[in-house]
Amino acid sequence: MTEAPIRLVPRAEIRSRRPYPTGRLFDGKARAILFDSSKCIGCRQCVEACKDWNDLPRGDQYRIGSSTWLTMEPPVLEGTASVWGRNSCMHCEFPACAAVCPVEAITKYAEGPVVIDPEVCIGCEYCVYACPWRVISKNEVTGKSTKCTGCADRQSAGLQPFCVQACPVDALSFGLVEEMEAQANERAGVTGGTVYGQREAGGTHVFHVLMRALADHGLPRVPALRYPRHHIPMSVKIGGVVGMTGGWQGKVRSVTNALFKPWRLKYRYWQTPGR
Amino acid sequence: MAFETVGQQEASRRLFPAMRRTRLPGGYMGKLLYVDLSAGRTQDLNLPEEPVLRRYWGGQALGEYILLHLLRQDAQPFDADVPIVMMTGPVTGTGLTPGGTKMTSVFLSPATKYTLGRAATSGFWAVALKAAGYDGIILTGQAERPTYLYLDDGRVTLRDASRVWGKGTRETEDLLRAEVRRQDARVACIGPAGENLVHAGMLANDYNHFASHGVGAVMGSKKLKAIVARGTARPPIHNKPALIQAGERWRNTLQVFSVDGRRSVGHGAAWGAITKHNWRTTTIDGPETSGFEDNRITPRPCFQCGRLCPWDVELKSGDHVGHIGHFDAGSEWLDTFFNLDINGNDVLYLAERINDLGIECSHFADGAGLAFEAWEKGLLGPDRTDGLELKWGDTATVDRLLEMCARREGWLGNLLADGPKELAEALGGDAPQWVVHTKSGTPAQHEWRPMLGNMLRELVASGGMKPQGGGSTNPAPDLRYREKWGPLDPMKSEGWAWSHLLSEQYRQASGLMGACWFAMNQNRPDGIKCMVDSLNATTGWDVTLDELLETGHRSMLLQSIFGTQRGWRASDDWTNVGPRFLEPIPDGKYKGFTIAQFLPDLIQEYYRLSGRDENSGRPLKATLEHLGLEEFMEWSDSE
Repeated sequence: MTEAPIRLVPRAEIRSRRPYPTGRLFDGKARAILFDSSKCIGCRQCVEACKDWNDLPRGDQYRIGSSTWLTMEPPVLEGTASVWGRNSCMHCEFPACAAVCPVEAITKYAEGPVVIDPEVCIGCEYCVYACPWRVISKNEVTGKSTKCTGCADRQSAGLQPFCVQACPVDALSFGLVEEMEAQANERAGVTGGTVYGQREAGGTHVFHVLMRALADHGLPRVPALRYPRHHIPMSVKIGGVVGMTGGWQGKVRSVTNALFKPWRLKYRYWQTPGR
Repeated sequence: MAFETVGQQEASRRLFPAMRRTRLPGGYMGKLLYVDLSAGRTQDLNLPEEPVLRRYWGGQALGEYILLHLLRQDAQPFDADVPIVMMTGPVTGTGLTPGGTKMTSVFLSPATKYTLGRAATSGFWAVALKAAGYDGIILTGQAERPTYLYLDDGRVTLRDASRVWGKGTRETEDLLRAEVRRQDARVACIGPAGENLVHAGMLANDYNHFASHGVGAVMGSKKLKAIVARGTARPPIHNKPALIQAGERWRNTLQVFSVDGRRSVGHGAAWGAITKHNWRTTTIDGPETSGFEDNRITPRPCFQCGRLCPWDVELKSGDHVGHIGHFDAGSEWLDTFFNLDINGNDVLYLAERINDLGIECSHFADGAGLAFEAWEKGLLGPDRTDGLELKWGDTATVDRLLEMCARREGWLGNLLADGPKELAEALGGDAPQWVVHTKSGTPAQHEWRPMLGNMLRELVASGGMKPQGGGSTNPAPDLRYREKWGPLDPMKSEGWAWSHLLSEQYRQASGLMGACWFAMNQNRPDGIKCMVDSLNATTGWDVTLDELLETGHRSMLLQSIFGTQRGWRASDDWTNVGPRFLEPIPDGKYKGFTIAQFLPDLIQEYYRLSGRDENSGRPLKATLEHLGLEEFMEWSDSE
């Protein structure tokens, strides 16, 4: 750990003017997942646990998609790499996916999870491209965006995410943000590693203790800015404006949203580098 | 219908309903795949009706039940029409419990030729089989050329395996995964040993897992190199929240393997004796593990299991620095090479070689051990070893012998492939006195002789190799509501027959539900109960602990009925045994002890207690009636 952690925004501020819906699952206290790569053995029990809890199809464990919300990198047989990385939603403090959503289908919860509501989603794919980690996928059957929910349903009941519960070597921990941050820093100190996820995209709710370079863990370099600049293809933007994504109802909802909350449009179309 | 004979067709109609009349319980995919390799045909079959499933659950018992209906009584292990039945269980692949990884194959043992072959494996393959849509496979026929079976999410194809024929298990796995272009495909394959009908050829899957007792040889006789499976299906679960809860309790009972434990002599360290010098020395002197301390060790657990049994090693010292070995839970292969006086990292190097070639380790340990002893005593010379000098502890010689065995090269290689008993008979002289075998099979390679329960288990099993049971000095905590005995004296025979019988029942039951008995920790409170509750939450049944034991008992009896049909008698258990296995222990802390002083009484007591005749081994009529096995009444005791 070479840089000081940035201050996470107080809960009250989250509930203030945010360009997406916010909510509370349980007690309103922010939590985080800690992934310690120095302990990880690459068994992918977390990957399968994610599928089990969410009833996602078996197989295809190696790449993020609508049936796999969490992967372990590199994409080789379990146990056969010397270092591993966790690849899934980082549950950003300032989720760009939620900011660009034209129908406010994505909610940021005070406890940390960023959750897509499939009932509201119109499948425009803005979020897929806005995500700095590229961990959102469109389900080709339902036409909706999908990703890790942070086990928001379990967190609502005071339970830890299912991937954390499944880890057989305690490489995953879950707890209050402050405790996980302290633990991450301590582990990085002991192992000579670095901490990832504290500053990226303005802070996240998943901290990684990394032993090697980012690329070795399959992770991208993401600037320490809120709502980092995204690259939604022009074709997707134009398609979203002139096309009928989400049908008539979807179109009505997105246009209504744009009319009543025009300030949200900047996150989609006139994005400036974040703070 | 792909079944050949009228009897098979009738059995098939009765067993596999064209239309289910009863509910399919949770946990099952509902389908079996029938493969006729001679005709190149495959067919989907419905699983038996619920009453049959409730009686046998899956795994060994359901496999045996099907096999008993399909196998000719005069069949030989490598006849084209003999089936291999591979079965999972309802708990396999739910993902919500540890240990839900088991696939058990049953077949006519090529090692003994008259008892049940039973080959169980864990890892990931069984989960992939269910993901492909099947609870099990019935393999029969003989392909014209090397073939592999590919199951891709319900689509089944038989493909040419010429490209991988002759290759080791590791390379085969990699090549076939690449060939089907699905990284999530799981491969179960045989090595050169299976192809060359080494009687104890193994089936290897997912690098670290091995099914023994000669299933690889039977596959080799069918020219079936591998079964590759993948898919997206998951078994339906009757009550998911209850299963999660039971699975969590199960997880809490696990006794987790530590990385440091992998730097020891393995299982024998627990009681302080290992097999060395062809069972003529048992002491642990230190050099056995030299170099283990510096190796890089990585646990490679099975699907969703936290016990962390399987592991990989990267050798950091010795002549094979950088070599990587992939091993399963047990450490029989350590004792295999200790038995040939090999020490240190060379043991791990050779263990990886034997797994790659696909030879069951005790089969080789007891055959090669005998060959070394025969050389030492002048009974075997270079004329029959292809010029090899059999010096104890010589790694290069053992390495070469492995290759000779797997490929049946030369006089010695051919006999090592057949088995230790066959080698002893061919050597002549006093060699039959120096051999270890059980009914021509071989016991799991550990120094069991100081332990009565484990010895009993090895002797009464269906011809060696991975039997179940072994007993305990006190009853499992979960069974204390009905078991009021213990502690047993390890040096006296009193109580061990019942103790072993009980443990055989619950360990059998573990496999029948599709779970690995390495993930069963009966020694902790809730160790068995959590598994029963997992089964019930998965299936919707209301199985009790008593019923669990009865189901295990049913599986044991089907196993012995299978042997009875082919000429096995209880007396074979103490007469058809390599004498070295029953000799007094030569040295160490157990010096002079032998189970032989309690034989045959101990074995006969075991048969009486399990409701079988103590001489014929046949079940009593009352036992069959009690267990609902009336259809096998013609095989009950009539003496």
